[in-house]
Formats: sequence, C-alpha cells, structure tokens
Amino acid sequence: MRLTVNGKAIDIDADPEMPLLWALRDIAGILGPKFGCGIAACGACTVHVGGVPVRSCVLPVGDVEDNVLTIDGLAQDGRLHPVQQAWLEEQVAQCGYCQAGQIMTAVALLDEISDPTDEDIDNAMGGNLCRCGTYPRIRAAIKRAASLKAGA
Amino acid sequence: MKALAVTLASAALVVVGAGIAPAQDANPEPPSAADTAKGLQEWERIYAVFSHPRCANCHVEDDHPRWSGPEFATTRVHGFNVQRGLDGSGMGNAGLRCNTCHFETNSSVPHGPPGNEKWQLAPVEMVWFGKSSEQICAQIKDPQRNGGRSLEKVAKHVHEDELVGWGWDPGPGREPAPGSAEETFLAIQRWVAAGAPCP
Repeated sequence: MRLTVNGKAIDIDADPEMPLLWALRDIAGILGPKFGCGIAACGACTVHVGGVPVRSCVLPVGDVEDNVLTIDGLAQDGRLHPVQQAWLEEQVAQCGYCQAGQIMTAVALLDEISDPTDEDIDNAMGGNLCRCGTYPRIRAAIKRAASLKAGA
Repeated sequence: MKALAVTLASAALVVVGAGIAPAQDANPEPPSAADTAKGLQEWERIYAVFSHPRCANCHVEDDHPRWSGPEFATTRVHGFNVQRGLDGSGMGNAGLRCNTCHFETNSSVPHGPPGNEKWQLAPVEMVWFGKSSEQICAQIKDPQRNGGRSLEKVAKHVHEDELVGWGWDPGPGREPAPGSAEETFLAIQRWVAAGAPCP
C-alpha cells in the first residue's frame, strides 16, 4: 500500500492490520512518533491523519486513507512550527519522550481554536501523559504558540 | 401526465387512509391484562439491552462517558478527561475527539479502544446510564427524548444503525449486549404490539 507521509509517498509492504506506528518507525524509518503504551492510553504515538490527531499505535495501517503528518514533517523550509518554537522558548521538555505526541496534539488544538483557554487546553491534552510532569510548561507553551501564530 | 395521474391517485389513497387512521386512534382497543403482561416480559428483554454497559456507558446524563461492566473493577468516568464536547457534538473537544482513539474497527490488542466509524455519545436527552427500567421506558416512548421517532422507527434504528449494532460486536475482552440486534428488534415489535407497557 502507498502512504503519503510528511508530503512524501512511501510504499509500505505490510499486513493491513499492522499499526501505523509500526509502519512509520520500522518500515519507513520515521522515528518521531514514539511507542509508549500500545493501547492509545498515553499519546506518545500521536500523529495527524488528514489533519486529525490519532494514536498511531492502534490505527491499522490499512485503514489510513489520508495524508499522514508526523512531528518530523512539522517544520517547513527549515523553520520550526510555532508550537515547536514555543516549546523551545518555554523549555518544556524534561526527558522528552512524550513531547512529540504532546506537540502534535497541541498543533491540532490550535488548528481548531486559535486562542485556547485553560479549559480548552485541559480538554485537548488530557490524553497525552507526561511522567515528568511538564504540564504547566506545556500549557504556557501552547499559549505562547498561539501568540506566535497570531503574530506570524 | 401519467405521472401526475399516479400522483393524484396516491394522494387520494393517502387522504382515504388519513380518514381511517384518526377513527382507529380515537378508539384504540385497550390492551388486555394478558397483553400487558406479555408486553412487560418483552420490555424486560429490551431493558436488559438498553441498560447493558455496552449501550448505557455512552447514554449518559452528564458530559462524561463511563467505563463500567464486568471488565472493570469499579464504575468510573472515561479516562483522559474525555467529554461530550463544548460544541455539544458528542464527539469530544478540539484536540481530543472520539476518533483520535476510536477508529472504524475494534482494536485487537487487550484493553485497546473499541471502534466504529460512527463512534460518539448519544444525545444528552437519551439518558440510560443509572436510570431505572421505568425511566428508560418513558424516555424511549417520548419523541421529545428519542430523536423524534415513532416506536416503529425506534425498532428500525435498533435493527439497522451501525453504532447500535456495535453493542453486539464489541471486540475481544468486552462482554456484548445480550441477544442480538435482530432479537431486540423483534422484541420491540412484540412489545409495541402488546401496547408498549412500561413497568
């Protein structure tokens, strides 16, 4: 089957039931999305399919019918996405393992709500766990990203 | 012209039919005690389905779907701060919609998310979770709270809706609702024929 990932066509020779995350990491060599729980309970594997954030560890690759965007494809022409830039400026990451998923969910949130409230952020980010407890900095970074996007 | 004639003939039949229906409605045969007893038996079959966790977990009064049933040690709200959605859609909030985790099919991994392409909460007026048999019966008969459906359409909905059908095909590790869509459809038809009594 053929996927379009981060704007590039990729041929995947795999069982259609294989989770998208496996196809991305083990076949396509795209290592940004991370394996955490394997049951859609932590959010580390979050990517976008057709603009919708999905947990790629449980999405069968054969069901993917739209463009895939991973954190690896977020920066454009050498410029970080405003969410990535805000993450750096707020120094969000500690161990960093969950952050690719956190960022992809934050991007999806800001695509729908350009100036999210604390409640909007809590509602969106509840499925992305961070065992380092970086939640206050994640919230600050999302607000900073909203300002960066507004000023872009 | 022929089409017009057929249309007019059909309209006439409708008018004739309409003339008959109110007379029947005005003097309905009162259900016998035997019919009522039989109807209540059928309702028990229907209630066993509607109140089952596969159905009731997403027919909630508040904004939180539930995790309950034999697979769970205790009843609790769905994890991850999953909610009905500030837009009232029943499909979650921006950044965390139902289809972030619930896809077209059931996950095959233990404790993975079940799936159906229509996955969402039932409208808030269609409350089953924590409600009594009597309360659910009154709700399902009330067009103001059942999606504007006649009981015949309720039966058809149970028979044909894909997300309702998921309740009998919930994937590995989850107890299905009792019976089947077909059996529940037939039970609703028999219940209606017996006067649709409520407990």
